[in-house]
Amino acid sequence: MNLPPPQTPQDPPVPPLPRDLPRDLPPGINVTKTHVVRTFSIDDVPLTTCRIDPTGEWVVAAAENFEIYRWPLAGPQSARTILHGHNSWVRSFDFSPDGRWLYSGGYDDRIGIWPLADPQPAPERMLVAHEGWVRWIRTSPDGSLLASCGNDNLLKLWDTRTWELVRVFEGHKRYPYAVVFHPDGKRLASFDLMGVIKEWNIVSGKVTRQWEAKFMWGFDQKFRADMGGARDMRFSPDGKYLAVAGLTEVTNAFAGTHKPMVLLMDWETGEFKKKLKIDSRGMAWGIRFHPEGFLVGSGAPSGSLWFWKLDGDKPFHTFKLSGGGRALDLSPDGRQAAVAQTDCKLQIVQFTAKSA
Amino acid sequence: MQRDHGCHRIDHEFSRRGFLASGALAGVASLSSPTVAHELQKKQKRVLQVYLQGGVSQLESWDPKPGTRYGGPFRAIPTSVPGMHISELLPHSAQRMHLMSIVRGINLKTNSHHDGRLFMEMGRRAGKFPYIGSVAAKYLMPENAPLPGYLHVTTRGLTDFTNAFLDARYGQLKLAGAQVPANLIRPKAVTADAARRSRTLLKRLNTRFSGRGGQKSFTDSYNASFEMAEKLMARRDLFEGEPDGKDLDRYGRHPFGRNCLLARTLLENGGTVVKVTHHGYDTHAENFNFHLEQLGEFDKTFCMLLDDLNDSGMLDSTLVMIYSEFGRTPKINVRYGRDHWGTAWSIALGGQGITPGAIVGATNKDGTEVSEREVDGGHLFHTYLQALGIDSTAYHTLDGRSVPIGDPTRQPIQELLA
Repeated sequence: MNLPPPQTPQDPPVPPLPRDLPRDLPPGINVTKTHVVRTFSIDDVPLTTCRIDPTGEWVVAAAENFEIYRWPLAGPQSARTILHGHNSWVRSFDFSPDGRWLYSGGYDDRIGIWPLADPQPAPERMLVAHEGWVRWIRTSPDGSLLASCGNDNLLKLWDTRTWELVRVFEGHKRYPYAVVFHPDGKRLASFDLMGVIKEWNIVSGKVTRQWEAKFMWGFDQKFRADMGGARDMRFSPDGKYLAVAGLTEVTNAFAGTHKPMVLLMDWETGEFKKKLKIDSRGMAWGIRFHPEGFLVGSGAPSGSLWFWKLDGDKPFHTFKLSGGGRALDLSPDGRQAAVAQTDCKLQIVQFTAKSA
Repeated sequence: MQRDHGCHRIDHEFSRRGFLASGALAGVASLSSPTVAHELQKKQKRVLQVYLQGGVSQLESWDPKPGTRYGGPFRAIPTSVPGMHISELLPHSAQRMHLMSIVRGINLKTNSHHDGRLFMEMGRRAGKFPYIGSVAAKYLMPENAPLPGYLHVTTRGLTDFTNAFLDARYGQLKLAGAQVPANLIRPKAVTADAARRSRTLLKRLNTRFSGRGGQKSFTDSYNASFEMAEKLMARRDLFEGEPDGKDLDRYGRHPFGRNCLLARTLLENGGTVVKVTHHGYDTHAENFNFHLEQLGEFDKTFCMLLDDLNDSGMLDSTLVMIYSEFGRTPKINVRYGRDHWGTAWSIALGGQGITPGAIVGATNKDGTEVSEREVDGGHLFHTYLQALGIDSTAYHTLDGRSVPIGDPTRQPIQELLA
């Protein structure tokens, strides 16, 4: 397949970044010293997701309203910009690799394409992508493609230069909750409500491997409903592992009685390497591979950041948040993380000792 | 079955308004008069109840508030009634709202499943009173009805004593989904003649028991059970066999689709009150994902049943109720759930005696309070009965005592009555 060249949009005007606060970048990662360095708040509305752009300049968040919020990662709160364009909640973000473009996947069936660094970004396009919610979007490693999945049970691949539909992937029988590119750029992985994991060849559009992680799904006999799905999914930078955040041990889906779980898969062998269950009620909403070789997860409603070694079964450290952690993202240097929380806060935490 | 396809002479001779007026003139009206009961039963009015168990979210159904503080992620869509919008989760219903109406200002002042259910069914906040289904069965079921008067198709059991002080024959008979009820076949060892003689003996013994001072309600209850069983045994065919494939395609092959197909069959074959319960709305977590699934199943299936009733002409004589025990909180909790909320929520009504295409009542901008035309289970109870031509201000007459049918402190919602 000839993949289209990376998008080369016109350079948007870059506003001067506020420099009234120091960039907190002390050396030496030590997660046991994790602390909050900054709190952004969103008008008494709980957050749904967040991301830090690849340059580390911006952090964006979405909430239980129709807006997208942007701050310079270094703050301050008053530098907040609101991006209007969606008609429903936004659940997923990604960026072009150079950080110039923000992509947003909304429950209004659309993908928004935004010039991230504009003083007041307006959507260059609101792409009707699925029949039903857009549940997840992910940019290819070279930025030429965007993968999406939605409530029409389809995965779709979009050309980020023309925004033409490149390919449709059919096969999930229930809602696919997340889709990600393998770092080799040639494969996709997707995870649906029932715990079905599929590997897809992006050229042929065919499923090349499939697994069933039934332990991340449950059928509530009383209410006759399925509960499961990925709440976040990430490949390790080398593509050797896939980590999936979600739930396990569903006993009462309607009351949210289940436990957070992160599945660590060896993608080369297809083995379920670790089932990292947390012994508390709730959901794992975020998962990242830290550059220093450990996993960071976030969960709600308890409000925790969990840190696991890849060969460990229990977190080697847990950091308590002020509210449930619904999503997290790491800064490019791995020193900070943004956490979208249920208490209407976007917390910036730092994995180091406090600055002198 | 005799269907009410149009306007017959008897309708004019004994109109609902005339009936109500005569009741008012008489002071305390009693529906136990054989003449009154006969007229109601002759008109073959029916009730279809679709109970969304657990408490459907009004914000995801009949009272959407997109873009507001607690509006959630779903959008509102226009309906076949100009100016009326409902949730995008109900696209099929939206095309048929000219057949239905919405009550948006319900305040039960309770957030309890148990209390909310009883208030919605009994029209009383407290006490032991018959459910609306039992009351409707009592006054609408013909003497020679081929089926029990109040049938409930459900896949889960809640213990309901629906007839309260009314005769046991008006109590709800639960059917465990769309399947042949258990034990409908007479054991081979018992011949038809033996069964008939056994029933005759039982009736004789019951009569003797009552005549010697035994409590009549005991024997009535047993007699009613036998009568219901006999009726079901005689119409076992209604439950047998696979439904038509085209109907299954329309209604859906899931349990709710099959249950609604059975409800149609029962109504077409002499059922007086048929209730179908759709489970799974008590969404304290993942309210939006679950409503997407549950209302996706409800919407098309219910609309297929509504279409069939409408196409056959039965809708004009069938009161249709879409209701719950309460709604769900505007505030979204940390599990993306909505909790119990009896304070400001909605139901939908249609068919017999209901003005179609109406919206009665309103909630405030964020849906946290009723802002206009507040009503509760008592008002709704009167409204259901008045829509069926039953004087809800009259009295049940029971062994020398009178009990008001509806709560005397409440009134029907006149704006809804056709």
